[in-house]
Amino acid sequence: MNFLVPAALFGLFAAAIPVIIHLLNRRRFRTVKWAATTFLLKASRESRGKKRLKHILILVCRTLAIAALIFAVARPLIGNWLGWGGGSIETVVLVLDRSASMETREGDGSPSRREAVVNRIADAIKNMGSPRLVIIDSASGEIQDVPSPDVLPELTSTQATDTQADIPVLITKAIDYLQETKPGKSEIWVASDLQRSDWRPDDSRWLAIQSGIKALPTKTSLRILASGSEIIPNYSLELLASRRIEDDLLLDLKISRSEGESEASIPLTFSLMGARSIDAKRVTISGQELRLQKRIPLGEIQKSGYGWVGLQTDNNPRDNAVFFAFGEKEPVYSWLVAEDPTIEVADYLQRSAAPTGFERFSCEIVSPVQTTKINWSTASLIIWQAPLPTGAVASQMAEFVKSGGSAIFYPPEEPSTEAIFGISWGAVINAPDDEFFINGVWTRDDGPWQDGQTGTPLPVKELRSIKRRSIQGDAATLAEWDDKSPLLVRHIDGAGTAIFVGTLPDDRWSNMEYTALHLVANQRMIELGTDRLHAGYRAIAGSEKSQTQDDEVRSRLDSFEDYEPSLGPYRSGVYLLGERTVAVNRPNSEGELERINEESLEKILEDTPYSLFEDTKTKDDLISEAWKAFLVAVLLFMLAEAILCLQPRPSVVPVTNPSPAS
Amino acid sequence: MKYDFLDTDVLARLGAIPLESRFPMVGNVAGRHRSPHRGSSVEFAEYRKYVPGDDTRRLDWKAYARSDRYYIKEFEADTNLRAYFVIDTSGSMDFTSGENPSKIDFAKKIAATLAYLIVNQGDSAGLSCCNEKLHLEIPPSRRAAQLQHIFETLKDIEPTGETGLVHALHQIAEKTQQRALVIILSDLFVETEKLADALQHLRFRKHDIAMFHLLDPQEVDFHFERPHRFVDLEDGAVVVAEPNLIVDEYHEALREFLETVETKCHNVHADYHFLQTNANYEKVVSDFITSRLTKKR
Repeated sequence: MNFLVPAALFGLFAAAIPVIIHLLNRRRFRTVKWAATTFLLKASRESRGKKRLKHILILVCRTLAIAALIFAVARPLIGNWLGWGGGSIETVVLVLDRSASMETREGDGSPSRREAVVNRIADAIKNMGSPRLVIIDSASGEIQDVPSPDVLPELTSTQATDTQADIPVLITKAIDYLQETKPGKSEIWVASDLQRSDWRPDDSRWLAIQSGIKALPTKTSLRILASGSEIIPNYSLELLASRRIEDDLLLDLKISRSEGESEASIPLTFSLMGARSIDAKRVTISGQELRLQKRIPLGEIQKSGYGWVGLQTDNNPRDNAVFFAFGEKEPVYSWLVAEDPTIEVADYLQRSAAPTGFERFSCEIVSPVQTTKINWSTASLIIWQAPLPTGAVASQMAEFVKSGGSAIFYPPEEPSTEAIFGISWGAVINAPDDEFFINGVWTRDDGPWQDGQTGTPLPVKELRSIKRRSIQGDAATLAEWDDKSPLLVRHIDGAGTAIFVGTLPDDRWSNMEYTALHLVANQRMIELGTDRLHAGYRAIAGSEKSQTQDDEVRSRLDSFEDYEPSLGPYRSGVYLLGERTVAVNRPNSEGELERINEESLEKILEDTPYSLFEDTKTKDDLISEAWKAFLVAVLLFMLAEAILCLQPRPSVVPVTNPSPAS
Repeated sequence: MKYDFLDTDVLARLGAIPLESRFPMVGNVAGRHRSPHRGSSVEFAEYRKYVPGDDTRRLDWKAYARSDRYYIKEFEADTNLRAYFVIDTSGSMDFTSGENPSKIDFAKKIAATLAYLIVNQGDSAGLSCCNEKLHLEIPPSRRAAQLQHIFETLKDIEPTGETGLVHALHQIAEKTQQRALVIILSDLFVETEKLADALQHLRFRKHDIAMFHLLDPQEVDFHFERPHRFVDLEDGAVVVAEPNLIVDEYHEALREFLETVETKCHNVHADYHFLQTNANYEKVVSDFITSRLTKKR
């Protein structure tokens, strides 16, 4: 237990006062001459046990009452944060999770999780007699001495950010700091909402953390103040992708909500080049999340631009807006690898990637042996209608997809036994005479054959095929033939997507050319693949790309919120960094609701002394003075003493006088 | 009056009430008390057949006329009362809580008042004082000078030493041949069984026993605020005790003692009176005398 006035504990000697008085009283007896000593001796012999016990209890009550009073004066500290063992700490290293998820609050006017925990830590530090406080915040990762707990809530390093946290890195920094400075008794306090993506329980650095804490010169424990144990209603918006397609800007958005399954209609606000609410649209969400694509006509904007999309304010104001920026119209390059570039199907596929009238779209045809010609770095889409690549080309293809490029594979005429992404072509299957292979079911809300923006389905049901090649391997089936075999499968690898189509837009295979399904699929894949080329305009809050470099000067372009220069590197928004226009968004992982559970925590801190304190809705301080409890104890002891001292009803005098003296 | 223990007003008020013996007394002169012998009082006792040698003057001629038989008419014999006051003068009788007279002073008042009444009604009174042993004995006498003798003796009594009451009672029982009224004034801090034997001895000698059991109110209440060192008045033994802790046990021991004493006294038909020294002694004496009027056997 800790005391704010430990010197008062010397007063505990006063607890001996009742015993001393008792002993003195026993010595300071009065002498009387007595006749009935016979009864006195008999009574003294019989007065043992209960009476003596009662007398001892009275003495104990008096002693404890004084002791409790002294404890109250010494101002003991207790609390669910420090418990009974936190005192006389010389240094507290505070690891503060400033990630965007810490901005969740219970309602309007309520402090966010970050604000609440910072305030409570400030109070706790004050109550502990203001030991040295060092803060390591998750946004900057810098170690900063806090001169006084009073200023803690005002520090820049405790303000809201849109970054994510890397808790293992921060704890490692705290350990390194303690190792270097070698202070006295220290503790590492971690204030976080235990978001799994921030704690990274699979990170191998946790082993080093365990051994690092053990190796510290003084025994150091870890105290984790966990907030966010309760799910608070909240909508969050994420920007999955943004790219400029000619005069339109395509935004892939995801709206998530923390709870609720019923259908809800929420408004979306768009802003382009500072003009707010260019299109207020209500979207309806029925599950936990909604993915949607928004096409924003750029109109007269020929060069670069920026904007944001926003939800209405809710319980986390930091996840209600996403920002985008785009550049000038740029050429879109696609490559077609055809097993026979001269045949008709190659022409169809080439035209689907670079339709007539789209001057900036180009698609060059190469044969499988000419793949060295492919400029993988500028390509948006690779169409592969040939036996699957092997060797170096397969590696280049895998790297291309992983980096965000799109690839779509059509079946070759020649047999192909190789596999890529774990998928390979099977045998060619011909339909019986006068019969077709037709589509069974397909995914209408996702993938290259998803419905159009107006909800109009693609003519997948009109597809008729007389020849197909089976698709083998483990991949997500987006469309299948009526016999349940896959027609269209997708494999997502890293940031990119690979699609396999089971038939060709060729009269000898199917009527796909007539339905133009290959055209839609190829164009949508180009959109996806172009996104990576526009990545230069996007950055994650707190990342290196979002920081100024060399002589760059930061200024904020959007007007979504007031610009605070000190927090600029850690806040979402559209910034002009020197000559770069960067739309900074919070990392999408901050929208994940999964928390690290106690079992995982136990596992990653297996041999480390740590205490986990779940913050609840109670407004108790992290640490509080217990003097009131001790005063109550004083009263209780005094009450008990009084009850014990109560004389029982006087015993009946055996015989009374006939009459009193007159 | 020069004696503290006498109050003339009290004596005047009580003088009209005769003190009776509950049992027949054997005196050497005629008096107002019944005798076991037949006498010449006016109180008819019984008829009995004439036997040769009887005084023919006591023949009831009227009865002879009616029944043609000789009957002797007998009357009760009246004699005087011999009262022995036995006062315990051990050290314990000197105890007083301050506000009330000591037990010995209270005993003196009762003894002196009763002695005065007894002698004044023509009976004999004697006095015995005892501590370790029976050390003073004034034989009963009905002379007027007897009172002076008794009062002077009472005046000079100084309680001291241990109690020898039991031994003294045995001695009195042995020495006193004729029936008498033995009035004992003591706190009875003796072994109750031995006391019972002594009383039995007295009763066996056909004495009428009156017991005044005296205690100070503080000895009964046992009310003390703080630890005390109790020094025994008789043997000087010291007991250190916290009265608050033992008061219940003390009361229980006292209650048991008083019940035992009272039972033992009743067993020998003793006239038992428990008194605290804050009592009105006039009423004590008055009640004692009047109660005996109805207790004649």
